[in-house]
Order: sequence, then structure tokens, then C-alpha cells
Amino acid sequence: MADASVAFHVEDPEEIEQETGRRSKVTEVPEGAEWNLVEQVMLQRRSIRKYKRRQVPAHVIRRLLEVARYAPSQGNCQPWKFVVVRDVDMIQAMEDFCIGRCKKLSRSLDYANYPKGSFRHFFTRAKVKLFNRLQPNMLHPVPMTAITSIAQGRFSVFHRAPTLILLLVDRRGIGTPEIDIGICGTNIVLAAQSLGLGTCWIGFAKFLNQGRECCARLGVEEPYEISEAITVGYPVGDPTHLVARDTHEIVWFEGGKKEVLY
Amino acid sequence: MALLSKAERRHFPDWDDPAQCIFYRVEIDPEKCDGCKLCTLVCPANVLELCGEKGHEKARVKGTIRGCASCNNCQAICETGAIAAVRPYNFVGFYRQLGRGEFSMPRKF
Repeated sequence: MADASVAFHVEDPEEIEQETGRRSKVTEVPEGAEWNLVEQVMLQRRSIRKYKRRQVPAHVIRRLLEVARYAPSQGNCQPWKFVVVRDVDMIQAMEDFCIGRCKKLSRSLDYANYPKGSFRHFFTRAKVKLFNRLQPNMLHPVPMTAITSIAQGRFSVFHRAPTLILLLVDRRGIGTPEIDIGICGTNIVLAAQSLGLGTCWIGFAKFLNQGRECCARLGVEEPYEISEAITVGYPVGDPTHLVARDTHEIVWFEGGKKEVLY
Repeated sequence: MALLSKAERRHFPDWDDPAQCIFYRVEIDPEKCDGCKLCTLVCPANVLELCGEKGHEKARVKGTIRGCASCNNCQAICETGAIAAVRPYNFVGFYRQLGRGEFSMPRKF
């Protein structure tokens, strides 16, 4: 029992710091201070969908993937794998496959394709309403609008970016591996922004999992599957002017009181 | 207790009804707009176009604003500060936006 009490003795980390004399400095941030470089990168990053034709040098992409592997993950399980595609033909083949998927989905699910009052409108809408509760995230009005735009050639999947990074998830990851993929990709897109590159998250890349030929060519095999993709390239124009965004409710507990801030 | 009422939770909005899927305004100042066309290029919803006579073109919103997610890519790329989405999008029923405050530029604290 004596051993147990030793094991449960909690040391005060600050006391240890003081004893060793190896005290770290606390960074003071004055109120209203200018944005630092990291904050600027975060605020200036937009989803870029128009790229210059110029290819990004390979070593720059390697740099992005280098910071990606330092992303935090649950239990340090690092449930990711990267597939980089820089061949126009191959990206076009993936684009074509996803367009095919979008055409199918649009036809079978987007009732906005059909005149109101028609049987197809009625039937498709009823089908969507039935599945809506089961698939509230996929059958959302916004992606459905995008799917139809892609099907009709008014929008693209991979935006003709010169480089495509596929983020594969190891389905055996700890806890919620998809979250780790999101955190990992955030390292990529922010590093890219800091290097003057534009990026866009492509969730529709998940469609590629349904293509046997695509998966074989890309080397996507169990237990991996495509979770997300990130397009990388040099943006057209200068899309770094700051923009307005929603503010969100912040519930703040302090001093025994609850406050709601925005 | 839930933030959405029972009726709201059951109501999945019709995406072809602008009264249920509410895409708000993009405001364009024709005084400032120099017709560079970049905003029409970067708009993911493809709701912007140029109008007016050659040499004096201005950006404007096409007939419908369906799909505008107030991403403000137009504002980000505009060199003259002529264009901005001024409100977030919203839905009726199940997807009603919750806990949103003002639409605001980055604030320093």
C-alpha cells in the first residue's frame, strides 16, 4: 500500500520548474495586438478553385507533407496515408469518374431538376424526404446544389489544380480517425497558404472509393479509404483580402457566472 | 430541451424553394467596381456576372443567388473593396442556423 501512495503522489509541475531553475518564459499578448504571421495565414486562407497552370515544385509538396506528419492525432495513431497525383491525365480520369457519380446522384436525388408539379419532382422529392433523416449531412441543400452544378458542367470537382493530395484514412485508427485526417489536412492547407499556395478541400473525392478501377490505379486498398482530397496550386489573382464571416455563440463560465458572448 | 422544435426537426427544407433555403445578398458598389472580372471567376456558386457596355463593365448578381454560401471569395479577391456578401445563408426547419451572431470582419481582442 505504501508503494501505491507513492505512485499517486502528484507533483506540482510549477514547483519542479522552480526547483530546477529551468523556467519557461510566458508570452504576454497585449490587448488589441496586430495579427501575428500564423494568425494572418489563418485569416487570409480561402478555398481556392482557380489555379494558374504552372506546376508546384515537388520539393514544396514534400514540405507540405512533412508538416502534415506532425499533426496531432488520437493516441498518436497517425491514421493517414498520402497519395499525390500530378499527372493531368490521371486527375482528368478521376474528375470524369466523379462527374459520372454526380450525374447519377443528381438524376436520382435532385428534384430541382424537374418541373414543380411533375411526377418526377413529386417522386424524387418524396424519396429525398424519406432518406433525409437517415442521411442529413449528405442530403443537405448545399452539396446537392454542387452535385447538380458538376453534373451540368457548371462546376468542377478538382478545379484543374496541378497537384492533388489524397488523404487516405486507416479505418482501424483510434477513436475518430476522420477527425485526425481533418487536423492533418489543416496543417497542409495552412502551410501551403504560408508558402503562397492556394488549396481547396475536396470532399467529393470520397466518390473515388466507389470506383474499382480508380482505387486499383491509386493503390487504395483496405483498410485504407479516401477520406478527403486537397487541391494545391498557385491561385489566380490575389485572394488574400480579409473577409466577413459569421460569429458564433460562445458560452463562457468564469467566477461562478455564465456569460454568452459572440 | 432541444433548440429545434419537433416540427422543425421533421421539416427538411425544399432546396428549390428560396423561401426555405435562404441565400442572402451580395452587395456590389458600382462606384468602386472596375469590372476586372475576378469575382465572377472565383465564385464557387457561379452567381456573378459582368454587365454593362464594353470598357465600363460592372459585376452584378445573376438572376438567382441559389447556392451562394456567403463564402466571400469575391470579397477576398476584390482589389477595390467593391463586393461582399453581407449575411450568412440560412434554412427553414431542420437546417436552421443556430447560435450565430453578427456577420463580422476579423476582430482584434
